[in-house]
Amino acid sequence: MKLTRRDFIKSNAVAAAASVAGVTLPVSQSLAADADDGIRWDKAACRYCGTGCSVLMGVKDGKVVASQGDPDAPVNKGLNCIKGYFLPKILYGEDRLTKPLLRKTNGKYDKNGKFEEVSWEEAFQTMADKWVAARKAKGPKGVGMFGSGQWTVWEGYAAQKLLKAGFRSNSLEPNARHCMASAVGAFMRAFGIDEPMGCYDDLEHADVFVLWGANMAEMHPILWSRLTDTRLTKPGCEVHVLSTFEHRCYELADNGMVFEPQTDLAILNYIANYIIQNKAYNKEFIDKHVNFTKTPTDIGYGLRANDPREKAAKNRNKGKLTKISFEEYAKSVEPYTLEYTSKLSKVPKDNLLRLAKAYADPNKKVASYWTMGFNQHTRGVWVNGLCYNVHLLMGKIAEPGNSPFSLTGQPSACGTAREVGTFTHRLPADLVTKKDAHCKFAEKTWKLPAGTIPRANGKTDGADQTDISGKPMGKTLIHAVAMHRALNDGKMNTFWVMCNNNMQAAANMNDESYPGWRNPNNFITVSDPYPTVSAQAADLILPTAMWIEKEGAYGNAERRTQFWREQVAAPGESKSDVWQVMEFSKYVKVEDVWPADLIAKKPEYAGKTLYDVLYANGTVDKFPTKQVTDSRGNKYDNHESAHFGFYVQKGLFEEYRLFNSAKGIPKKGHEMADFDTYHKVRGLRWPVIDGKETLWRFREGYDPHVAKGEGVKFYGKPDGKANIITAPYEPAAEPPDKEYDLWLCTGRVLEHWHSGSMTRRVPELYRAVPDAVVYMHPKDAKKRRLRNGALAKLTTRRGEIVCKVDTKGRNKCPEGLIFVPWFDAGRLVNKLTLDQTDPLSKETDYKKCGVKVTRA
Amino acid sequence: MNICSLIVHTKPTQGPVVSERLQTFQGVEVHGGLEEDKLIVTVEDEGESMSPVSDTMNALRDVEGVVNTILIYHYGGEESMEEMNREIN
Repeated sequence: MKLTRRDFIKSNAVAAAASVAGVTLPVSQSLAADADDGIRWDKAACRYCGTGCSVLMGVKDGKVVASQGDPDAPVNKGLNCIKGYFLPKILYGEDRLTKPLLRKTNGKYDKNGKFEEVSWEEAFQTMADKWVAARKAKGPKGVGMFGSGQWTVWEGYAAQKLLKAGFRSNSLEPNARHCMASAVGAFMRAFGIDEPMGCYDDLEHADVFVLWGANMAEMHPILWSRLTDTRLTKPGCEVHVLSTFEHRCYELADNGMVFEPQTDLAILNYIANYIIQNKAYNKEFIDKHVNFTKTPTDIGYGLRANDPREKAAKNRNKGKLTKISFEEYAKSVEPYTLEYTSKLSKVPKDNLLRLAKAYADPNKKVASYWTMGFNQHTRGVWVNGLCYNVHLLMGKIAEPGNSPFSLTGQPSACGTAREVGTFTHRLPADLVTKKDAHCKFAEKTWKLPAGTIPRANGKTDGADQTDISGKPMGKTLIHAVAMHRALNDGKMNTFWVMCNNNMQAAANMNDESYPGWRNPNNFITVSDPYPTVSAQAADLILPTAMWIEKEGAYGNAERRTQFWREQVAAPGESKSDVWQVMEFSKYVKVEDVWPADLIAKKPEYAGKTLYDVLYANGTVDKFPTKQVTDSRGNKYDNHESAHFGFYVQKGLFEEYRLFNSAKGIPKKGHEMADFDTYHKVRGLRWPVIDGKETLWRFREGYDPHVAKGEGVKFYGKPDGKANIITAPYEPAAEPPDKEYDLWLCTGRVLEHWHSGSMTRRVPELYRAVPDAVVYMHPKDAKKRRLRNGALAKLTTRRGEIVCKVDTKGRNKCPEGLIFVPWFDAGRLVNKLTLDQTDPLSKETDYKKCGVKVTRA
Repeated sequence: MNICSLIVHTKPTQGPVVSERLQTFQGVEVHGGLEEDKLIVTVEDEGESMSPVSDTMNALRDVEGVVNTILIYHYGGEESMEEMNREIN
């Protein structure tokens, strides 16, 4: 039989699909599948969402040419989604950056100059001068770094050390602040430990699925495939979908509900009320495992302090919990009757009742899923908590199929941002900078003098920490949205944005982000593979190696840590984030950023660079460089190790493990396996004890931290009990009014990932969905004399954009609400959005502000 | 050029009829799975003359009787047509 290269690749493709589907094909179809196609295949965790699919990447002649779903991966079982489908192409956009670029005029740095190619030495020296000056002049908040839930684990860890230990600054935030902070806040308040108790196996175990503000069909397609399979094959299985507009998930919904924005708060309280009124709650469970509490109300909207809405708030930013009785809790949800809730939410009573009954049925296992609908919410921590309330009342938690589950948007929002703790207030493994003891533990682990890491309140052992300026350190925390405000106000003067596109992503670009970045006193660095909106608004652009151009690790939403090897070399002079962070640290001396009394505690550090102190510290540089190979004997490069002269990734990871897996750590429950193990497996879900992963936490028999006879133990809390936290419905910050008469909701689409900096460079995906459109109800369009396909002008109090009207597409908005995706750099919807945040989690609410639509 | 394989889930017992519908698309082949209602499908494009696989894949989703399409394999090399069609054995 004659066989062409095309036949050959096709037969491989067919064999892969047949094997995943469990379909047997005629022999002739699978003839060539076993032959060598000259492609080296190796596993990697997908670059996009938080699902954490494993993909096999095919490399030929130093270039990625093919990809397939990894049949050995428990997450995706060989499946792949449309974004994953063009993965090989994201590395090869025509405009890849290959040299550092600095704005210059007449050979010198100039904020208003044009980008010119410079060496890495000039780039870092310029940057270091600015950073050291800003750190001295403006204190710990004078410098800032904005990282990412797309950072690999060790990149986040290296950055954590650079900022908090090296620069003695807590001005480190991840873009996960915009994405997961509300989920984190709720986990900590309810359970005292971050991340979901369940896992993806719940997708096969549950009888009822409830989607709260999650469009899984488009944002988590592989999980959606698993859910669909269960729905279609399991008798009695039902799917409830709630959102503020109809999306693709409604096609499968048995009970689809569209609610008025912000009224999810009321709906969840109605369900709790229904459970209590019908005495359906699990009394034994709540007696043993639950405390009842309340949270302060009327807490504002995270706007600038001088905003009238902030001035009017009685308990601005407050969140301290007070214990209450079950009876007081029951009373607090009593007003949320079916009648009242239906009227407020605009969801028909029958639908609400059906939903409440599903939760209240003791014989039905319920899995709740949510993403940005809950998290990007000015009451995000509350609404996450209200969902836990319902699960806790029923005891439907921490066992197969009974699972409140916060889905993740980024591949390592969990693994890096949350577990490594690259937030202003966090340290690795759930430790926090507000606790002196936690900071001391980190200092000891990092071989630093006591008092190096800035405490949240600037005090250690009750005394002020001294800053490089000689003044007291003062309060040191600053969250993502506040960073842009501080840049705008000139209080922060240097800002390093890495592995994200925050100029496009942050809310209120016109009033805060852009003026902040272009403030003449500020020096902005952006590390990116591509000239994104952020890169173009920067002063220095650093060309960056991406994803499989370096050895990496991600942690997904079900606590699974996954590794990959460097598959191909990065183009030109581009370097990985971990290389950039570590190499930059060579340009700063301890004396530049630490006061003399601190250095005096460790005189051997005098005259050293931050690199010497943080990375050449005997722990990180402990493992010698070695040839990386896989079990089949294939060899892989490692450019970081070759440059620094030790196994960089292994050293950073093993030092990180001293926080989560060593003896005597402050917080148990995050244990991980050793570095080498992860290169061999398709990920492991922590806590990993004696090499064994944990599928369901807090329950005896599944979680090794729960002793025999304890049954259920929420061991993140000192008394082992979870918190039910009552919170009421409160209105949104900027509901529609007479002039701005519609709700504006922003979000994502299947084909593009977040700001589109990768997917918009894949011609096929660009062609599939080239531009953002405004989805609106045909009646709303007609009222404004707009037709499907017409150009509309969208105006808010902050700005305007123009885009095409879509009244027939995949998203069907109710009257009164429009939806606009944010991937499109040509139509920046964040010129419109309000920089409102949850006052507790500081996460932005991108889902609710008033907008006016007119003909363009 | 792109070569992709997909699993196309069909409504119960509709494998054969959906298979016929799919094969009317240019660049689409069905390789099996008709009885299981899980069609093993390849989609390919070459050059300017054919619509890109992304468009075809989107269109398949809307074919009557299709419940879900899942991508499994993607080849996206940049070889010329001659190279791809050269015999290798």
